[in-house]
Amino acid sequence: MKDHFTVHLEPLGKKVEVPEGTPLKDVLFSYGVEFPCGGKGICGGCRVKVLKGDVSFDERHRSLLEKLNLDFSWRLACQSYVTGDVTLEIGQFDTFILADSSPFLFKPQEGYGIAFDLGTTTMVTQLVNLKTGKVIGVETAVNPQAQHGADVISRIEYAVLQDGQATLTRLVREKFATMIHRLIRKAGGIAPEKIVVVGNTVMHHLFCGRDLTPMASYPFETPEGGACHFTPEELGLKTDDHTDIEFLPVLGSFVGSDILAGILATGMAESKDPLILVDLGTNGEIVVGNRDRILCASTAAGPAFEGTNIHMGMRATTGAISSVTRSEEAIRVHIIGNEKARGICGSGLIDAIAVFLETGKIDIGGRIKGESGRIDLTPEVFLTQKDIRELQLAKGAVASGIQILRETLGFAPEDIRNVYVSGAFGSFINLENTRRIGLLKYPADKIIKMGNTALLGAKMSLFENGDKIRDILQKTIHLSLETNPDFQDIFAENMIF
Amino acid sequence: MVDILEKLTIVVKRGKADKNSPYPPDLKGQDGADELTAEALKMGFTPDEVLQKALVKGMHLIGEDFSAGRAFVPEMLMAAKAMKAAMKHIEPFFKSGSVKQKGTVIMGTVQGDLHDIGKNLVAMMIEGAGWKVVDLGSDTSFEKFLAALEEYPDAIVGMSALLTTTMVNMKGITEKIKEVSPKTIVMVGGAPLSQDFCTQIGADFYSPDPQGATEYLDALVKSA
Ligand code: B12
Repeated sequence: MKDHFTVHLEPLGKKVEVPEGTPLKDVLFSYGVEFPCGGKGICGGCRVKVLKGDVSFDERHRSLLEKLNLDFSWRLACQSYVTGDVTLEIGQFDTFILADSSPFLFKPQEGYGIAFDLGTTTMVTQLVNLKTGKVIGVETAVNPQAQHGADVISRIEYAVLQDGQATLTRLVREKFATMIHRLIRKAGGIAPEKIVVVGNTVMHHLFCGRDLTPMASYPFETPEGGACHFTPEELGLKTDDHTDIEFLPVLGSFVGSDILAGILATGMAESKDPLILVDLGTNGEIVVGNRDRILCASTAAGPAFEGTNIHMGMRATTGAISSVTRSEEAIRVHIIGNEKARGICGSGLIDAIAVFLETGKIDIGGRIKGESGRIDLTPEVFLTQKDIRELQLAKGAVASGIQILRETLGFAPEDIRNVYVSGAFGSFINLENTRRIGLLKYPADKIIKMGNTALLGAKMSLFENGDKIRDILQKTIHLSLETNPDFQDIFAENMIF
Repeated sequence: MVDILEKLTIVVKRGKADKNSPYPPDLKGQDGADELTAEALKMGFTPDEVLQKALVKGMHLIGEDFSAGRAFVPEMLMAAKAMKAAMKHIEPFFKSGSVKQKGTVIMGTVQGDLHDIGKNLVAMMIEGAGWKVVDLGSDTSFEKFLAALEEYPDAIVGMSALLTTTMVNMKGITEKIKEVSPKTIVMVGGAPLSQDFCTQIGADFYSPDPQGATEYLDALVKSA
């Protein structure tokens, strides 16, 4: 008899080995899955779908599902224990936020530390026991600034053109304090040694209260991107005075300390072989390099990968077509939650385009064959010609950025050892299709989905004395793609499928 | 005889610059816009005929495809390259005055912004429609527009912006242009813009795509 089993988490593609009888709650907790009712089995907020195998399932569990009007393909994570190998789908959470549970090497130390990833959309923080390296608490939240605009440029607009800088700073600091307080309270009131915060340049400036005006127009260079230290008092934290709070420095222009942390997480600055780190979010940050030299840039891909600006686009939540496959002549779609399709999310869009390129319904220029100008996926959901154009812009921008950075450093595609993909969306994509549409033109076995590299890097830096960060800062140069005269031609080439 | 102009129209639309260019793959090894233009002129077509009946027509066709979503940025850029290859042969006649352009359009991406691909496409299309284009590049201030207007007082001004933080700069520039030269027509465009925004800032014309701009310009010539 096996006493350890594998829990397979889809669509993250993560595998976790755990002892028999492990509560599912413990496994999912560090992935940011929330348990709104505190694990009583009454809210259904932690529901997961069983795709293969099963977890413990008893009468009580069955009746809880019935009360919640959920069919028996669902399980409540808070009621489940691992009893065998199992594949679960956890993508259906409306509030699903990517935390991180990757193992990493560290030097054990006394006390506790907190890593904080301040994203434009979501905020996630983990409390770490510095002796064991174990994550002992997680908090996630939606960035309250989102009410003043979804992307960084609209935050800048609100801060600079509408005089909202102070409001945005207050909102984010309040939320920060609430989350830290909850983390600490749930852990029994420990006093953290340090808190490391990472985020993109706009989040850095808003959190630290630095003037965003230089980020509103060319040349987008800010003199205030350095590390910021705070005392707990300055941020309204009711914790021990000695806690050192640091927002890590940004790398330049629109490339922030979330990417700095990502570089740390990949080990790029120590690697002999060149590596690539790509964040498939709205800013589309890209890093290429090795221990000799590192280049970074933002490609401004736009939000197409997140399903925005797509006619029937939506986030990866219940009702979204999250993957499209073809067997023989039939096209199959997978819908998150196995419900009626309401729209399509980024991973589904990439799959759909890859599939229809294969069938010839879309040509390499991106044109939909025939007169209708649309492709039906289900009776409800279809793709439009403009959706494909949006994706071409986004993938063209990212692919061009990678190419320009790589070529500037003099590396051929074969020289690259690994491509690390970070960001929530990156965890859900089908790598073969990513290659097929020309987004990441590298063999699937070289591509590693790394999840939240910002949080992982922030966590790793809790154990560091700062030398590694200084080393990265010294080696890394920010490249402004907008001044590259060849961008337009490279971009056009990369828009083709 | 008309055959060669039709051929030229097609290679411009399909973006075949010259015989050696590998794009598009199915026209490999065939004559491109460069060769066909030279040949047409040698055959005795006037530069004006070549321009109007082949080049402008080819660019118009690709513009239509673009508007309808049948073609996209790469195809449009290739067509523009083909047009440029043809224009090499026509340009000397502009200078000598034997071919007349419809007028002058000053184009620039607005101050604070370096997104120039959309602006370039519009500039190429306008040029392809038979206008002289003075391209001021990116990050263009009012002073630069003004200097160009002093040189070409009858020119139309076209501005582009891709950022919501820089499109607001169009307002100031438009106002100042109208102050020093009330008769100057100002066109605006770029992904975040709208007709509302255009009206709000006192600009004369907005179009979401280049085709709209060339049609508007042509209408101006006709009504003049
Ligand atoms: C390519 C690109 C870049 C390139 C630009 C290269 C270059 N030389 O232009 C690079 C990578 C350098 C870049 C940088 C930045 N970018 Co950028 N970029 C894009 C991207 C992917 C495509 C833009 C594009 O070229 N479209 C294709 C052209 C053909 O379309 P178009 O410009 O809209 O033009 C068409 C029409 O609008 C019209 N038109 C245009 N001008 C005119 C003028 C007239 C008179 C008329 C009639 C018509 C007209 O005709 C054109 C053809 O149809 C978009 C995202 C997206 N998916 O769209 C982001 C985007 C525009 N960028 C954005 C941002 C924020 C930036 C940066 C500020 C920050 C960053 N993340 O790096 C920097 C700063 C650049 C700078 N210094 O100005 C944001 C803007 C968000 C906002 N709220 O304003 C976008 C929307 C992405 C996003 N959502 O984050 N970017």
